[in-house]
Amino acid sequence: MAFLSLERVSKEFGTFTAVCDVDLAIEKGEFVSLLGPSGCGKTTTLQMIAGLVEPTKGRISLDGRDITHEKPNRRGLGVVFQSYALFPHMTVAQNVAFGLEMRRIPQAERTERVREALALVQLSAFADRYPRQLSGGQRQRVAIARALVIAPPVLLLDEPLSNLDAKLREEMQFELRRIQRKVGTTTIMVTHDQAEALSISDRVVVMESGRMTQVDAPYRLYEQPSNAFISSFVGKTNLLAGTWRRGGASSGAEIGGVLLETPAPEIADGTPVTLSIRPEKILLCDAGAGRLDGRVASRFFLGSQWLFTVETPLGIMTVSIPNHGEEPPAEGSPVGLDWSPANLRVIADNAAAA
Amino acid sequence: MHKNGPVALIFHILVLTFVLAPLVIICLVAFTPENTLSLPTAGLSLRWFEAVFAHPDFVASFWNSIWLATLSATLAVVFAVPAGLAISRYTFPGRDFLNALFLSPLIIPHLVLGVAFLRLFALIGATGSFAWLVATHIIIVTPYVLRLVLAALSGLDRSAEQAARTLGAGEWTTFRRVTAPMILPGITGGWLLAFINSFDELTMSIFVTSPATVTLPVRMYMYATESIDPMMAAVSALMIAITAVAMLVLDRAFGLDRILVGQR
Repeated sequence: MAFLSLERVSKEFGTFTAVCDVDLAIEKGEFVSLLGPSGCGKTTTLQMIAGLVEPTKGRISLDGRDITHEKPNRRGLGVVFQSYALFPHMTVAQNVAFGLEMRRIPQAERTERVREALALVQLSAFADRYPRQLSGGQRQRVAIARALVIAPPVLLLDEPLSNLDAKLREEMQFELRRIQRKVGTTTIMVTHDQAEALSISDRVVVMESGRMTQVDAPYRLYEQPSNAFISSFVGKTNLLAGTWRRGGASSGAEIGGVLLETPAPEIADGTPVTLSIRPEKILLCDAGAGRLDGRVASRFFLGSQWLFTVETPLGIMTVSIPNHGEEPPAEGSPVGLDWSPANLRVIADNAAAA
Repeated sequence: MHKNGPVALIFHILVLTFVLAPLVIICLVAFTPENTLSLPTAGLSLRWFEAVFAHPDFVASFWNSIWLATLSATLAVVFAVPAGLAISRYTFPGRDFLNALFLSPLIIPHLVLGVAFLRLFALIGATGSFAWLVATHIIIVTPYVLRLVLAALSGLDRSAEQAARTLGAGEWTTFRRVTAPMILPGITGGWLLAFINSFDELTMSIFVTSPATVTLPVRMYMYATESIDPMMAAVSALMIAITAVAMLVLDRAFGLDRILVGQR
């Protein structure tokens, strides 16, 4: 039995189904992200775990205990809200102490635990400030300290980094992971940012219009997306629609008269398929030397890498190559595209493959 | 800093003069040694202030008004906060009707309300007691509190309440420790407006006060219909002084900006 499990959990608002039959088993100490575009039901799922929204159907259990209809104040879970939801009329220390106060922890122990929690998020010097005197990142960390100080069995994070600017967000990602590793709390994070989900989670749950569509480790999610939506939502990709052709040793997809070889599972001849290849899996070479010829339509310098859009007979392809410190092909110049057939994924959308 | 042009400056000065001049003049008149309403030209005198305190009617009415305003403003808060919570957070049949009902005393002329209450009290045989007077004042000041409470609630980040719940607070504790402090500016502002409106109310009170419960404005009105002398100015000056002191104290204690505009 998993530590936290959701069994066929659904939430309907009137006739609208926000979350449909979510089944999820989370082990103790895991860091799981719920990833999806806005309106996919990820926040509703989190709120059902927190007890702020009651499921229409299904069962939620924590450590073997059924908590489906338990009040939020009886669950003892730590929640960090998107807006941080700090109490504006209390100091940082009072905010953090609130949960302990509710648990009637004696004053001496309370003070000590608040001190530890603030040290954990590196805000010891700010105990007597009010939330309005703090920056976004600091408020964020107060919210984390407040949620963690009660030693919750599960920490729930609702888009915790979305209100921070890009640089701070990156720092906080590592910070969040560091804290989670240190205290070992089972953590569920809701996010619409795939990079965030991939970088700090043990497992990522992808949600689309109320349903879970893939649950996998970040690396596998990226390399083996189960459908076209995930492959384009998680990272960048080139999607090519074609028809499957089987022929002896060389089976592959025929797209615009070109046969692209790929080692793929059993698919019947003539089945329509979608191929996916990541921009960084494509290599640029001299025209004629690769599998496909094209012309550089535009190029963007991103510092650590170059991003190319290349016009090919199959349509525009995005290619990214690492910056080796040399000037790469100019816009308008003819280039060849090469890749390893193993990196050309057949997406199961229309195909019978698993 | 943005500087005002000469035209804007003149405009501001005119507005301020228009607002403040009557108050300044009435305060000056209060110190006149003459027997008529006039500016003190030949020295200052406190004789009209002495006259006020020599009038037990005025002193009694003053305390009446203070108690009336305090009680009705406080009770209006007690009613308006739960009403505001219900109206802003739940949908139930008759919600819009209730909202309109609570706000309707703002629209109905106080003269009409006064006649209506007089009639009602005569019908049910309510004597002109202080309790009934308080009841009528609660009705006319509740809309002010409700408006401000509703405004405060609509600007409230509800996730703070949810956070309190997840941290182990029950519903009542959440209200007491989180919701109430967060809407306190609205409540305090509403209470102040209610207090001032009740303390000031004349039109309706003329109908519903009995000789034992005459409020200060009614007392002044009755006195002024018989004779106009500088004692009226002295009473007015005292009222202005009391209000100003109350405002100063509030500003020192809480900050008026925070109470009336909201913190942050």
